Amino acid sequence: MKPKRCMHKRLLNIVFLTGIAFILFARAEIAGAKIYIDIYSPSTRKLPIAIAPFKNLGSTPDKENIASQINGIITQDLELSGLFQVIDPKSFIENPRAAGITSDKINWSDWSTVGAEALVKGGFSLDAKSLTMEGRLYDVVQGKFIAGKRYFGKVDDLRLMVHKLVNEIIYQLTGEKSIFETRIAFVSTASGTKEIYLMDVDGESRQRITSHRSICLSPAWSPDGRKLVFTSYKKGNPDLYFKDIFYGNEKVISQERGLNISPAFSPDGKKIALTLSVEDGNSELFLIDLNGNKLERLTTNWGSDVSPTFSPDGAKIAFVSDRAGSPQVYALTIEDKSVKRLTFEGNYNATPEWSPRGDKIAFSRMTGNKFDIYTMDPDGTNIQRLTTLGSNEDPSWSPNGRYLIFGSNREGSKKLYIMLANGSNQRRIASGKGEDTNPVWSP
Amino acid sequence: MKKRWIHLMVVLAALAFVAACVCQPQVVKPTEAAKPVPPAEKKVQEEVVAAPKPAEVKEAEVKEDVMKEEVSPLEDIHFAFDDYSLTDTAKTILEKNAAWMRNNPNTKVRIEGNCDERGTNEYNMTLGERRANSGKKYLSKLGVKEEQLATVSYGEEKPFDPGHNEEAWAKNRRDHFAIAK
Repeated sequence: MKPKRCMHKRLLNIVFLTGIAFILFARAEIAGAKIYIDIYSPSTRKLPIAIAPFKNLGSTPDKENIASQINGIITQDLELSGLFQVIDPKSFIENPRAAGITSDKINWSDWSTVGAEALVKGGFSLDAKSLTMEGRLYDVVQGKFIAGKRYFGKVDDLRLMVHKLVNEIIYQLTGEKSIFETRIAFVSTASGTKEIYLMDVDGESRQRITSHRSICLSPAWSPDGRKLVFTSYKKGNPDLYFKDIFYGNEKVISQERGLNISPAFSPDGKKIALTLSVEDGNSELFLIDLNGNKLERLTTNWGSDVSPTFSPDGAKIAFVSDRAGSPQVYALTIEDKSVKRLTFEGNYNATPEWSPRGDKIAFSRMTGNKFDIYTMDPDGTNIQRLTTLGSNEDPSWSPNGRYLIFGSNREGSKKLYIMLANGSNQRRIASGKGEDTNPVWSP
Repeated sequence: MKKRWIHLMVVLAALAFVAACVCQPQVVKPTEAAKPVPPAEKKVQEEVVAAPKPAEVKEAEVKEDVMKEEVSPLEDIHFAFDDYSLTDTAKTILEKNAAWMRNNPNTKVRIEGNCDERGTNEYNMTLGERRANSGKKYLSKLGVKEEQLATVSYGEEKPFDPGHNEEAWAKNRRDHFAIAK
């Protein structure tokens, strides 16, 4: 009997079997994850997709025209994403009344003839105030079902349900989570003074969330998407406010003499970087906790240091400083406070925002009397210009790092626009009265 | 022993094969019309949707509008673009203002630093702060007590002239001396 040797053999057998099991599992996963839209590819070929009219599957008549609302939101979202070419419904061959929504009832050539490679079908049913909606995604080319989802909720939440479906469609086709459940916080003068507002990514559900009747500026999201910090002159000085969006409660967390401005949450949600001028009258970067207690002073320099933005790993902060004579973008390593200058072209580079993917920093550069949006790698190289029309500032990244929202006056007054991270598909977001500025994209 | 090594080699080879597959995502290319495939429709997942709504905003009480500017016995001083140093004209005005303040030592004065609309809102707040401090320092040198002086920066947020030209911008690059209540 040689027990040691037996143990050895057993262990190796287990490892072997585990290895085989893992490989088989992984192979199955990979086989299922066909990439329909390779969003990493530099050439943006839009995928032709058809959205069939959603059917009323229930007995309650569709008085609110839910069907056309659903279709409208899906079309708008897919077009905003910049990844799809939505096929004109007027060219459809299929008879919507006769056709079903499951693949056994689909005539694939009806769809491939009109150029579709992907197809969305679905239905809904109403019951008093509640709504059930289901959507199914098909691969027209291979003639098969890809995925489907059914949602239950209130009729009032229709927009959210459809946005969730669109997110699912895009996830199935790209392997990545999309933007349609995210929101934008921004500043608007719609009520007469600058207040903080929220809206969906498509500009709908605009809602004012402050009532300071003063000047509110520079909102910043907490990483859990439930709170905002922002500066307000409500008490006569630019103080830092902390607000819980869903409960509504608000408090001042930093009211030092002088400036309490340009806040940014750390990625772990425990600290806020901001600019204070209290210590020597000079604008410097500080870290504070969520109660406003000063944790650390980050910069010590005669220049004005402002507009911090954290790297997604929380180790660095990009910011604006005029220590070299004019506003430029710098990167600070929090651990040792070392600072590296990133921008050397142009004499006014500001509003840096670090991409949540970590791969880029967006910023705006003033040339003449107007701004444009640029991106660069985190070491300052590979500078790309993204805008040309009008004056464009204050870029903010979508949480998946694929889109930017920014402010522009290209159509006269200041409104908000979205574009892909490479500058393509620039579109204005539906707007209301007044001027909209300072957009920040929710996590 | 040999068998074990063979097992290991098989595992490694398979892993290498898998790794190779991961590196090459297949991109869909249109092919001829597909044959109908039995649907796996049972895979429709379900989700309950309930949207959390942001809290309603309570209207603020009507209070005195902080935006109105009252006529001040003290004169504004102006600055060059992107600058916070005092011109000779500015110094002369500050001397006059200082005299008034020394004669009215119980009246608090708020020095409000402002910028023109060019530049970013956040950087302009820091520039306005410098302009306000610049004025305060000089007034202190002229004998005005620190306790009488407060500063605030409005950046580009409260332009005196809402125009978008050089003339308006020049008027907006200023320190305004408000009688603080």
